Amino acid sequence: MTIGINEFIIVSSLLFLIGFLGVILRRNTIIIFMSIELMLNAVNLALVAFSRYNNTMDGSIFVFFIMTVAAAEVAVGLAIIVMIYRQRQTILVNELNQLKG
Amino acid sequence: MMYSHLLFSTIWIPFICGLIFLVSVKDVKTLGARLLGLCGGVLPFVFAWILYFKYDASLLEAYNFELILPTGLESLGIFLHLGLNGISLPLFILSATVGLSAIVYALFSNAERLNLYVGLLFIMFSGLMGTFASVDLFFFYFFHEFALIPTFIMIMIWGGVARHAVALEMTIYLTLGALLSLIGLIALYQQSGAEAFNMIALKDALLEQPISEVLQNNIFALLFFGFGILVSLFPFHTWAPKGYGAAPTGAAMLHAGVLKKFGLYGLLQIAIPFLPAGSEAWGFWLLLLGLGNILVIGLVTLAQKDLKQMIGYSSVMHMGYAFIGLGTFSILGAGGVLLLLVAHGLSVALLFLLSTCIYKRFSTFNMDEMGGLGQIAPNLSAFFALAILASIGLPGFANFWGEFIIFTALGESESTRWVLYLAALGIIISAVYGLRAVGNIVFGVAKESVIQANTASKVGDMNPIEKFSATVLLGSLLLIGVYPKIFSDYSNKTLQNIYSDTSLLLNDEYVGDFKLERDTEYE
Amino acid sequence: MDILTNLLSLLFLPLGTSILIIALGKHRKKYAPIVAFMSAIGALSLSYILLKNLPESVHYSWEWLAFGDSKFYIGILLDNIGATMLAMVSIVALCIVTFSIGYMSDDAAKGRFFAGVAFFMFSMTGIILADNLIMIFLFWELVGFSSYLLIGHYFQKEEAKSASQKAFIVNRIGDFGFLIGIILTYWQFGTTNIELLSIQSGIDPSLMSTFIGFLLICGFIGKSAQFPLHVWLPDAMAGPTPVSALIHAATMVAAGIYLLIRIDFILTSQVLLFIAYSGTFVALFAGFCAFAQDDIKRILAYSTLSQLGYMAAIFGMGYSGIALFHLITHAFFKALLFLGAGAVIHACHHEQSIFKMGGLFKKMPITSITFIIGTLALCGVYGFSGFYSKDSILIAANDYNSTLFYFLVFGAFMTAGYMGRLIWIVFFGKANSEAASSAHEVSAVMTVPLILLSGFAIFVGLNAYWPFGLGASIVSDLDHLHHLSGYKEIHKWVLILGSAAWIVGLGVSLIFYGKGSSEDRLQLKFPKVFAFLKGRLWVDELYQYYVNHIQKPVAEFLSFVDEVILRGIIVRGGAGLVGVLGVGFRLLQVGKINNYVLWFFVGLLLFWLYGIDLF
Repeated sequence: MTIGINEFIIVSSLLFLIGFLGVILRRNTIIIFMSIELMLNAVNLALVAFSRYNNTMDGSIFVFFIMTVAAAEVAVGLAIIVMIYRQRQTILVNELNQLKG
Repeated sequence: MMYSHLLFSTIWIPFICGLIFLVSVKDVKTLGARLLGLCGGVLPFVFAWILYFKYDASLLEAYNFELILPTGLESLGIFLHLGLNGISLPLFILSATVGLSAIVYALFSNAERLNLYVGLLFIMFSGLMGTFASVDLFFFYFFHEFALIPTFIMIMIWGGVARHAVALEMTIYLTLGALLSLIGLIALYQQSGAEAFNMIALKDALLEQPISEVLQNNIFALLFFGFGILVSLFPFHTWAPKGYGAAPTGAAMLHAGVLKKFGLYGLLQIAIPFLPAGSEAWGFWLLLLGLGNILVIGLVTLAQKDLKQMIGYSSVMHMGYAFIGLGTFSILGAGGVLLLLVAHGLSVALLFLLSTCIYKRFSTFNMDEMGGLGQIAPNLSAFFALAILASIGLPGFANFWGEFIIFTALGESESTRWVLYLAALGIIISAVYGLRAVGNIVFGVAKESVIQANTASKVGDMNPIEKFSATVLLGSLLLIGVYPKIFSDYSNKTLQNIYSDTSLLLNDEYVGDFKLERDTEYE
Repeated sequence: MDILTNLLSLLFLPLGTSILIIALGKHRKKYAPIVAFMSAIGALSLSYILLKNLPESVHYSWEWLAFGDSKFYIGILLDNIGATMLAMVSIVALCIVTFSIGYMSDDAAKGRFFAGVAFFMFSMTGIILADNLIMIFLFWELVGFSSYLLIGHYFQKEEAKSASQKAFIVNRIGDFGFLIGIILTYWQFGTTNIELLSIQSGIDPSLMSTFIGFLLICGFIGKSAQFPLHVWLPDAMAGPTPVSALIHAATMVAAGIYLLIRIDFILTSQVLLFIAYSGTFVALFAGFCAFAQDDIKRILAYSTLSQLGYMAAIFGMGYSGIALFHLITHAFFKALLFLGAGAVIHACHHEQSIFKMGGLFKKMPITSITFIIGTLALCGVYGFSGFYSKDSILIAANDYNSTLFYFLVFGAFMTAGYMGRLIWIVFFGKANSEAASSAHEVSAVMTVPLILLSGFAIFVGLNAYWPFGLGASIVSDLDHLHHLSGYKEIHKWVLILGSAAWIVGLGVSLIFYGKGSSEDRLQLKFPKVFAFLKGRLWVDELYQYYVNHIQKPVAEFLSFVDEVILRGIIVRGGAGLVGVLGVGFRLLQVGKINNYVLWFFVGLLLFWLYGIDLF
């Protein structure tokens, strides 16, 4: 059995869905953050797969950008989470409801 | 060229004065400050009249005293382009006259933080002069906003009862109106494909290639309702009486007297000549809503007990005449509207001024509690009675000509005569509320407490400043009333020029086949 | 002095006087009477010079205003009719101004009074000289303004306040029609110039329109106080008596008739018919009302109304010359009567009720005699001026329509009746009050005008002797009457009826009311009849009802709609709606990041669905 484009799409969709559900359902900010990373990587996977499938380099280049941006995001995001924890002594999103109208 | 700079100076002189008052004058009661204030008020007035005498009516196509300065927005077709034609000249002089009167009165008044008050008034004045001197549509609009913003601030600081709510209501209403008209103007500019955002270029472009009827209808609707809101067209008028009721004297005089005319000036100078098909499509609404102003608001005015509110409502009512005059789409009607605008500006400013003087004597605006002003202040009573009579259209004052010419224009075509029959009822309604106000305030015997209060505070008859401010306005009303040619000849030439391209299209009915005009006087 | 200068100085002299008096400032009180007097003399001499040099007619015209193809002119037209009016107005005004010097001597606001009178003279001269309808309208409003000013002279009094407002507003109602009429005339004929109008209507009679005619006579109905706009005139008596004499008897109210005479050629026969009948009605109606009044000035006011009715009636019958004739004779004797009443009031310390006077003949002989002369002229006693005009009216009426004729003869009976009532009660018998018993003859400055006017009241009817050929239209109308078939018969018949009218009227009133009675016998004996007459057909009450129960509630309702519904519900409601929406959307902001993300994806989903054209 050869692994075709369909399998890649399925895997990346599953990964994305897991990440998405994680963002929606989990309360811990760290885990939400990791789920976001998961979604990003799902996209990366799909991009690489399509890149290979189409025989172009566009997707792969895009992936490099996403990885750099994700790294920067992790740095900023984790710092924010640490600051939130310092201020509020919690990182559970249901307690961080300052946005409530 | 020199006169062009004179024209420009009528805008920057008040602006500089305003800045000086805002920034560096601490006490307005010093001689220097007063002299500066007087200069700032008198110079534009004098310059405006010099320009009047230098006005060359033979320049038909172009504007007089044109001045074009770059602004850095050339790519958008925006220049600081000033100039006067026969339509803007009367309003320009009106603005200088009312400005002079309001500023002199404010300079010698006792308002708190007087330097701020006078400064804002100057800024407003400068905006007003700019509005009517602009040929460029961007600056036409810009100067209007420039004058509008100080109005809100002044209501917020020196306003009367419920000033915050009123100022907010007025701000939202007027911003909405201004926004609609701005969209309309931009749409017109964009659709016409004119080279520059000014009236001359627009006219040339539209003459060359008129825009489609549907577009005309839509753009006219924007301009009609946008400008209409600014002029308190029924039923978008509710901001006006409350706003004027709350505004301090100077702001009310300049806003009701001059700034409000911006909308009608826009309709007269831009919307109707440039969008003939659009205006024809909306003509019925012009007439109908104008009648709403006259009859409905006229009756509402009857029910007012507060003097300032009454004046505010009456000013809304009189705007109705202007709308129905525009609705005739004839040179005669447009001329009548122009005369009415000038006359109404002068008379409503005069009434607001006098209502403040009356307030000083009675410490109330409630007309039921007044009475016997004739006993306390005979001169003030005479001025007030004359001002009211002028505003209800007594011949000899300018308002008569405005109303009369508009009515005559309505009678021209069979199809608008029904409007004439209804609108002329306005002369009865206004007589009723006007005379009732005079009766309640001037006639009768003054209350003992009022006389005592007046003796104690040493408020006697009018002081020289009040007299000066009122005389400037009343004198102008009389001047135009007795000799309307002073403006009508210039206006007529311009109107014939800018309406001739469109009016043929609209007035298919030709009255009679004979002409009875004497060209030569005979004895 | 050429004619134009003369005309202009005649027009502007009173205006200048008015301005001068105002400019006098503190010296107003001292100098106003003398300035006004000099101006009246000046006006009279200017009129004299003018009339002496006047050719057939003069006409000047200048453009006043032009927009597009429409031009409006200001101009002067003085023809024979105008000249006749001008002569009358100048003479009456001089007499009245002179009288006022005495009458107003202790008034604090003399300056205002004389300035107002001078301004009135300006406006009245303007009406007389105007060459087009627009200019007539202009001065028409200005006389209304001066009338307002002068009725409100005693501004502290409640009565003056309401009367002055009423006069102006009721006149405005008439002017509403008049204004529309003028505008329609302008578009119908292409001009409002009186001479051109007459030419136009002569060339093409189909241009005349009954509708426009009715609109134009609205002005007349208002100014000349015809039914149903007559209500302001009796109330206008709240002004000083010389004002009542000048404005509300001799000149301004007659301006309505003058207008009709000016434009008679564009009035269709239906309009004329209406004027004839309504005039007759007013002549009778006002006569009845006069019986129920006890204020000496109000009686005279109703008498004025009634005489204006006569003028209107004869005009409607097509004799504009005779209407002018009666206008002129009436102006003199009615001014005389009012000034006489003024003298009486002045002598009785501003007592105006006739039942509180009595026995004044012995105390004030000159006033009494001149007043009686005026009364005889009014009643049309043979030889007095009123006789000539009234006689011709009756003859013409007989020729026109016998019903109107009998009504008008009956009106003559009534005139004599109410005037007899006034004369017997005021001047004869005994004094009925302190004020009346202490009355004494007024000063010479007041009696001289009375004597002068009584001279006119006697002789002005002899129109054949008028100087400068004045009253040419009167002569032509009278000639027409004299050549009617059976003129001799009718004349005899009218002479008998007319004389019977005043003899019976004066006699019956003497018997019924008695000399110097202190109470109204009609009221005592026939209270119901009196109450009916006093009610004056309840026109005033009807208007009052309209103002209080219709106009006021409607105005208040609209004000409520404006304030509450428009401003409160729609404008404020708009703001409220936005607020409610805000509250609703706020509920979506739960504050949980998870939810936001969910919404975000739902949004994405929607975009996607939109993108694949699902909806």
